Amino acid sequence: MDKTVVEKIQSANNAVARSKNSRMPVQPIKLYYLPPSPPCRAVMMTAKVLGLELDLVLTNIMEGQHMTPEYMKMNPQHTIPTMDDNGFILWESRAIMAYLVNAYGRDDSFYPKNPRQRAIVDQRLNFDIGTLFLRYVNLYVPVLFKGDEMEQENIDKMNEALGWLNTMLDGRAFVAGDNLTIADISIIVTITNLDVFGYDFSSYENVVNWFARAKKTLEPYGYNEIDRAGGEILNSFLKKQ
Amino acid sequence: MTIDLYYTPGSAPCRLVLLVAAALDIQLNLKLTDLSAGEQFKPDFLKINPQHTVPTIVDGDFSLWESRAISRYLVNKYGAGSTLYPEDPIARAIVDQRLDFDLGTLYPRFGNLFYPQIFAGAPVDEALLKKLEEALVFFNTFLEGHKYAAGSNLTLADLSLVATVSTIDAVGFNLTPYPNVLKWFQLVKSTAPAYEETNGKGIEEFKNFITRLKAKSEL
Repeated sequence: MDKTVVEKIQSANNAVARSKNSRMPVQPIKLYYLPPSPPCRAVMMTAKVLGLELDLVLTNIMEGQHMTPEYMKMNPQHTIPTMDDNGFILWESRAIMAYLVNAYGRDDSFYPKNPRQRAIVDQRLNFDIGTLFLRYVNLYVPVLFKGDEMEQENIDKMNEALGWLNTMLDGRAFVAGDNLTIADISIIVTITNLDVFGYDFSSYENVVNWFARAKKTLEPYGYNEIDRAGGEILNSFLKKQ
Repeated sequence: MTIDLYYTPGSAPCRLVLLVAAALDIQLNLKLTDLSAGEQFKPDFLKINPQHTVPTIVDGDFSLWESRAISRYLVNKYGAGSTLYPEDPIARAIVDQRLDFDLGTLYPRFGNLFYPQIFAGAPVDEALLKKLEEALVFFNTFLEGHKYAAGSNLTLADLSLVATVSTIDAVGFNLTPYPNVLKWFQLVKSTAPAYEETNGKGIEEFKNFITRLKAKSEL
């Protein structure tokens, strides 16, 4: 491994070790992002919820700013969001969110340490990346970026996933239990997009009630300025078609 | 203490759970679930997993699905002292990113390319093939300068990725353009506990399943 990389990891380890007392990064964490990007919005709200200041670095993927040699050296998979915590580079929004709580959470309420409670959060996060968000992407990306019509098969798949989310919410105030966790923050960005686009999910009563509750809980943490506003930008792409 | 595992033979995510249980010395009570016969839709199964997928575990009164959530749970709950899922936030984050790469990128790109061929006799989709090749290039790059997928020790990242890569290999996909991946694959085969009995055996079952499907579609 490159010496500078080793030094960076050592300095990052020191940063976390030093900051464990104050639970704050030495320098604000850099986040390479674009406002409409749903996973970026989830990370930004998580930082707010944890009281963490982010050094936001605008990375316009529509202009290839993620494909520069510098960016690809940092993240060979060239995706956003990418985080740089005092030399520690990380991508995948849900890994970033879990890391922020693990490293800097004052307590574990947003990502409980209890194995069974944590397992439910992990399962919801996996459901999000592998099923819910995926089906949203398959449904809307052709519409947003190519002006295609929505395909019935994709609508059916989206509704099936919403049905599963609805069932997971049975008897729960939030997706993984009684309190807001990173699973709610990860999932809400997809539901916000659906809501802003006017997608009808009114028949999923638990989802509707949870969405209202989660929005309210996240309002002090930038729900409107970060998530809603980001969804509106995407909606403007839709309207252009 | 035994944990029930609802599984189907050959399934990559089920093989991951078998690998993790073997590494942690956890006894699994294997419950064969015939997906082609719709056993996952039985009311009793829907009660424990409304999303009706395998693998699903039942540990006492606690049920859980999603193979990588199950894997994390087994280490978090029963793996005291295990290095499979490090406690240090930075080391753990790298494992988490690799696991999400597997779930969100590598495995689906393989599935999207391969399963239409095997289930519907579709021809090879060149665009999807390029996507899989790109994902393998990413993985090859992640491995540059590292012995294992997330650093210098075997972790859940290796077990998850080997379940996927062994499946890609099993269908005859050529891995030689990805030398780091090939080297890593050989290493994990020889260092993952009970690899042959769990993933090795499962790959044979997967190959049998594919052969049976091919025979059906060629009639």
